[in-house]
Amino acid sequence: MKRLINIIFLVLGLYVQGQETLGTLTGTVRDATGNPLAYASVLIENLKLGVLTNDKGVYTINKLPSGNHRVLVSFLGYGSRSMTIDVNKNHNDIKIDFTLKESLENLDEVTVSGKTEKTALETKGYAVNSIDTKEAGLRSIQTNELLNATVGVKIRQNGGLGSNVQYSLNGLSGRSVSLFIDGIPISIYGSSFSLNSIPPSMIKNIEVYKGVVPAHLSSDAVGGAINIVLHKGSKNNLSASASYGSFNTFQTNFNGTYRLIKSGFTIKASAFHNYSDNDYKIWGRTIVDIAPNGVQTPIVARRFNDAYRSAGGMAQIGFTNVNWADQFLVGVTASDEYNEVQHGTFVTISPYNGRFLESDALLGNIAYQKKDLFTQGLDLNISGVYGKRNRTINDTVAQAYTWAGKRLVGFDGEYHEYTWGSQSENGPTLAKIVRNVSSIRSGLSYKINHNHKILLNHVYSGVDREDSDEMVSLLENTFQQTSDLYKNIVSLSYELNAFDNKFKINAFGKHYIQKVLNTQPVFNDDNTQVINEVYRSDKDYTGYGFAASYILLPTVTLLTSAEKAIRLPSENEVFGDAGDNLLPNLTIQPETSNNLNIGFRLGKFNLNKHGFTLASNFFARNIENRIGLPVNADGLRESDEFVQYTNLGNTAESKGIEAEFLYTYNTNFGFNFNITRMSLTTVNSGIETNVPNVPLFTMNGGLRYSVKDFIQTKSTINLFYNTYYTDEFAFKFAAGTNTTGEEEFFIPEQLSHDFGLSYTFPKRNFVVSLDVKNIFDQAIYDNLSVQKPGRAFYLKLNYTINNF
Amino acid sequence: MKQSFLNFKIVVILLTIGLTTSCSNDDEPIAPDTDGDAGSGVDSRWITVAGAKMGDSPGDGNGGTLIYSVTSEDAKDPTVQIDPFNNGFVAPSNRTARLQASEDGHTVFNISYAGDTGGNYTKYTVEGGGSFVQTGSEISIAPYVGTAPRWIKLFDGDKTGAAVYVSTEHQVDDNDTPDDVTDDTYLYTNSTIGVVTLDLVDSQINNFQEHVITLSEEESAAGYYISRIDMPVLNATGDKLYIGARVSKVDPSTVESDSGDYEILGSKTIVLDYPSLLNPSVITSTVGNGNTNGYRSINAFLYDGSVYQANQGDPEGSHILKIDADNEYDDSYDFNLDDALGVEGAYILAWRPAANGKAILAYRHEGSEEGLAGAQGFFALVDLNSKTATKIDAIPYDPDFYLFQYQGFVVDGTEIYVTQAPVGQNGNIYIIDTETGEVTKGAQLVNAEGSHFIGVF
Repeated sequence: MKRLINIIFLVLGLYVQGQETLGTLTGTVRDATGNPLAYASVLIENLKLGVLTNDKGVYTINKLPSGNHRVLVSFLGYGSRSMTIDVNKNHNDIKIDFTLKESLENLDEVTVSGKTEKTALETKGYAVNSIDTKEAGLRSIQTNELLNATVGVKIRQNGGLGSNVQYSLNGLSGRSVSLFIDGIPISIYGSSFSLNSIPPSMIKNIEVYKGVVPAHLSSDAVGGAINIVLHKGSKNNLSASASYGSFNTFQTNFNGTYRLIKSGFTIKASAFHNYSDNDYKIWGRTIVDIAPNGVQTPIVARRFNDAYRSAGGMAQIGFTNVNWADQFLVGVTASDEYNEVQHGTFVTISPYNGRFLESDALLGNIAYQKKDLFTQGLDLNISGVYGKRNRTINDTVAQAYTWAGKRLVGFDGEYHEYTWGSQSENGPTLAKIVRNVSSIRSGLSYKINHNHKILLNHVYSGVDREDSDEMVSLLENTFQQTSDLYKNIVSLSYELNAFDNKFKINAFGKHYIQKVLNTQPVFNDDNTQVINEVYRSDKDYTGYGFAASYILLPTVTLLTSAEKAIRLPSENEVFGDAGDNLLPNLTIQPETSNNLNIGFRLGKFNLNKHGFTLASNFFARNIENRIGLPVNADGLRESDEFVQYTNLGNTAESKGIEAEFLYTYNTNFGFNFNITRMSLTTVNSGIETNVPNVPLFTMNGGLRYSVKDFIQTKSTINLFYNTYYTDEFAFKFAAGTNTTGEEEFFIPEQLSHDFGLSYTFPKRNFVVSLDVKNIFDQAIYDNLSVQKPGRAFYLKLNYTINNF
Repeated sequence: MKQSFLNFKIVVILLTIGLTTSCSNDDEPIAPDTDGDAGSGVDSRWITVAGAKMGDSPGDGNGGTLIYSVTSEDAKDPTVQIDPFNNGFVAPSNRTARLQASEDGHTVFNISYAGDTGGNYTKYTVEGGGSFVQTGSEISIAPYVGTAPRWIKLFDGDKTGAAVYVSTEHQVDDNDTPDDVTDDTYLYTNSTIGVVTLDLVDSQINNFQEHVITLSEEESAAGYYISRIDMPVLNATGDKLYIGARVSKVDPSTVESDSGDYEILGSKTIVLDYPSLLNPSVITSTVGNGNTNGYRSINAFLYDGSVYQANQGDPEGSHILKIDADNEYDDSYDFNLDDALGVEGAYILAWRPAANGKAILAYRHEGSEEGLAGAQGFFALVDLNSKTATKIDAIPYDPDFYLFQYQGFVVDGTEIYVTQAPVGQNGNIYIIDTETGEVTKGAQLVNAEGSHFIGVF
C-alpha cells in the first residue's frame, strides 16, 4: 500500500508538469419568463460529464479539456437546448446562459435524468440517508437533533448539551456505529471536536449508512456509519451566527472562505463556541432530598453540576480548483472542552458536584484531491490528520450533596463527606490520558468507462495512549500499563453501471488489520531502571459486501445491499476509560455481523403542485460476538460502579422495517414522516428476548411552511413543527410470563414536540430564528433513566455575505 | 439472648396481626392451598424461594432475582410446583439482589445492588405467590456505603441491618524526589472502612462511623491490606460487632497487585464497639488462614455464646472458626472441613446453623466436577460441637449444580430448608432434620434455561 502511494505521488509530480489546458464553462438556465430553473441538467455529451444547476439556476463545469464540445441542457417538463463550444488557450473561461421553453409532454413518459445530490446518493443501493444541514444551520438545532429525526437513527444522550452521546442505527448502538469527519474516524479528533460541538452550519451534509458501509469509508462497523461532510466549497463567503436560549445556553460560530480567482489560493476558517449551564429541571424516583435520618422526599430538582463549554476551530490554507489539484489544503484543527458531570451511568439519589472532564486537541491536517489525475477517470483523494489530544478527569471533592443542590447532612447533624473521598465511588482522581493520534485516508478510483469503475482505499489510524493520575504516587503511575492501537483497513470495490444506468452494483471487499500494543512497565533486575514489557496482539479479518439498485420505472427504484461486517474493538473497549467508568478488556474479540437491506423508493410523483416520495427499507442483522455494555454484566462485579465492554455470548438478531414519506406542495409546504419498527433479540434463558435498553419503535414527523413576502417584500418566514415518539422499552431483560415488579425497569413511552420559525430579511443575508423545544415540558429519556431537558427557548441570529 | 427472643416474639405477633388484618379483605394469594393458613399462627411460615436469572451466560445470575412464596406445608409437598421465573416478583435490583427475610419469613428486606436505585432499602410484606407488598418508607444507605452495599441483617430480632464499605489507599515515600521513581519506597496501604447501621423497623439511619485500618507493621510493609469487608455479626452480649475481612497483597516494589505465590495470613476479623461502632481492632486466627468476608450469604453466626465463622480461600481447606465471648479467636477450636469431610480443598460457600448447633453447609472442593457455571457444589450436615461434617447423600448432585451465589436457608426449629436445582434444570426444595439427619424432598422447583436457585428465605 505504501509503495502504491509513493508511485502515485511520483506520477503526480510528472503529471503536474505535463498538464494540458483546461477550461471552465458557467452560466444560468432560465425558463421563458426569466425565472431560474433549479436542477436542470447540463451535459457535455462527448465527455459524458454532467452537472445540475443550483437553486439559482447556475451551473459550473470545470476541467474541460481543449477541443470542441457539445453542451446539452434539459429539464423535466421543458424542451432541451444544445450548443457546441470550443475550448482553447485563449478561450477557456466560457459563460453561456440558456433559456428553456416549457414542453407539453406527458409527465409520465419523461425519464427523470437529473437527480439531486441527495437523491443520487440515496438511490445507489445502500440503505443511506443524506441529511441536509442548510435549513437547520440557520436555526438553534444541534447536529445530534438532526440525526435523531432521521429514519432508523436514534441518539442516546446522557442529558443536555455536551453530554455523552451514542448513536443507534437500526437498533445497533454506540460503538457498532462508526463516525467520520470527511472520512477520518472521529475518534482521532476527540470529544472536543465532535457532533456535540460542531455546529450544523460547518457541515455540508451528513451521510448515514445503515448496515452496509461503502468501501470508500473503509469502516469497521457492524451497525453502519455516519460521515460528516464539512463544507468543501471554494466560493467566497462569510457567515456568522449567535444563539442564546434557556439554561443559559450561548452558541456562536463563524465560517469563512476566501479564494483568489487567478491563482486559486484559498483560505478557509471556521470557529465555534458553545456554552450551557444545562441547569434544567428533572424529577423521578431517584430525585429526592434526604433528611439527616435518611428519609427521602421526592423533589423537582435543577441540575447544578452540568455546565458545558466547548470551543474550537479549523483553519486551512492552500489551493483549490487549480490545474494540479482540485483541492490542496494544509491546516490545523484545535478544540477545547470543559464538561461537568452531574451523575454516573445511572441517575442515583447522590448527584455529583465538582466532578468534571477537560479535554483538548490540536491536530494538523492535510488534504489533496484531484479528479482525472493523469488520465481521464483516475481520481485521487488523500487526507491525513496528525496531532495530540488530552483528557483529564477531575474528581477530588469528598462532600456529599443532595438533589436539592445543598450539602447532605448526615444522621449526626454534621455535613457528610464520602468515605471514598470523591463524588464517584471509585476514589479521588486527576486521571490524565494523553493520546498521540494519526490517521491517513487515501482513495484511488479509476473509471474504466461509463460502465465500470474500480476503487482502492486505505485508512490507517493509530493511537498511542499514556495514562497518569496525579492523585496516586509516581510509583503507581510508573507501573500503570499503557496502550497503543493501530488499525489498517484496505478495501477494494468495483462499480458496474449497466442497462442504460438502470442497474448499478457496487461489490467490495475489506481487509482489517489491527495491532494492539500493551506496555507493562517493570523494574530491571537491580531496580535501577524501569523497562517495558510489551504485550502485542496482531489480528486480521476480512469482510465483504455489495450494494445494488435497479430502476424499474422512473419512479420506482429497488435497492438492496448486504455485508459481512466486522468491527474491531475500539481503543476504549480494549483499554477502558476511567472517565466513562469503563474497565479494560484486553481479550475482547471483534464483532461480526451479517447485514441485509432490501428496500424501494417510490417517487417523486408530481401531481399538479403536489409531490410525494415514499421510501422503505427492510433490514436484518445477525450479530455474533456482540460488543456491548451489558447493564447487568459480570463486568460490574469487581468495581461496582464500573462497567466493561464485553463480547456478549449470545447471537443478537435485529429485524425491522423503516419507512419515510415526504410530501411537498408548491415548494412552500412540506410534510415528512418516518417510522422505524424493529426487533432486536437475543436468546436469554432459552427464550428469545428483547435486548435491554434499546428503543424498538420510534416515529418522527415534521411540518414546514414558508410564506414569502411576509411583512416585508422579498422576505421569507419559515415555520417548523417536529414531533418525536419513542415507545416504552425496558432496560433489563424481561423475566418470565407472569412476573410482577418489572415496572421498575421500564422507560415510559415518550412524545415530544418542537416548534421553530425563521425569518429571512429581504436582502437574504440576515436570518433570525426562534425555536421552542419540548413545548409541553415532558419528561423525555434517551438512555436508561437519564432525563433530558424540558421546555426550552432559543433565539438565533445569522449573517451571511456571499461572493464578496 | 432472652431479650432478643422476646423481641422476636413481638415482631412475629405484630406481623401476624398485620398480615391477618391486611389479608382479611384482600384477594386470595396466588399460591394454591394456602387457605389463610399462613396467618393462623406462629407455626406456619412463609417460605420465599429465590431464583437468579441468567444475564449473559448460564449461571451468572445477573439477569435479576425473582422471588415467590409458598407456605411451609406447600414447600414440603413434592407435588407442588414452584416457578418463580414465570410467576415471581422481580426484586428491584440491577444485579442479584441481596435478600434477607425476617425470622418468621413474613417480611423480606432488600437493599438494591447497583443501578439507579443502588443502596435503596425496601421491605415487603410476603402475601404468598408473587405478591410482595412494599411497606414503610424507602431510604438509601448509598451516601454512606455506596450504591453496591454489602449488607446483612443482624440477629437482633429483625431490628437492625448493617452495611459496610472499604476504600484503600497505597502510601508511598518518594524520598523527596517526586520525579525519580527508582528511589521511591512503598510504605503500607490504608483501608478506610465505613460501617452504617440501619433501623429496619422505622427505616432510618442509626449510626455511621469510619475508621482507617492498617495491618501490623510487618504485614503492611510486606504489602498486605484489607481489601474487602463484609458479613457483620453481633456477639452474644450485643456490645461488639464483628466484620469479616479479605486480605489482599501488593508487590511493594511496583505497588501492582501481587499475583504470585505469597503466604496467606491468618484469618482476620475487625471488631467494633456496638452500637457506637467505635474502637476498631483486628483479631487474627492462628487456626485458619484466608478470608472471612464470605460471598453472598451470612458467613458468621452466634451459637451458644460464641460466634462461629467460616473462612474461605484457606490453603488447608475451609475452617469454621470460633470467636469467644472475650472477642478473641478461640485457637483451641480447630474444625477443618478437609479433615471432617475427607476431601481436599474444601471451600465453604454458604452455611447456616440451627439453634441446636447443627448446621447445613454448602461447599465445593477440589474433587468437584467442573460444570456449566463452575465447580459443582454439595451440602453437608455439620455439628459445631463434635466438629464433624457429613455430605448429605440424599440430595442429588449434578455437575451443573453449583452454590457459589447461594444465599438462603430457612431454619424452622431443627429443620433447615434448602433449594437444589442444577443450572437450567428443575429441582426441589429439600428439608433436612438436623437432629436425625433425615432428608425430605419438598416442592418441585421449575427452572428456566441458564438460571439457578439461590435459596429459600
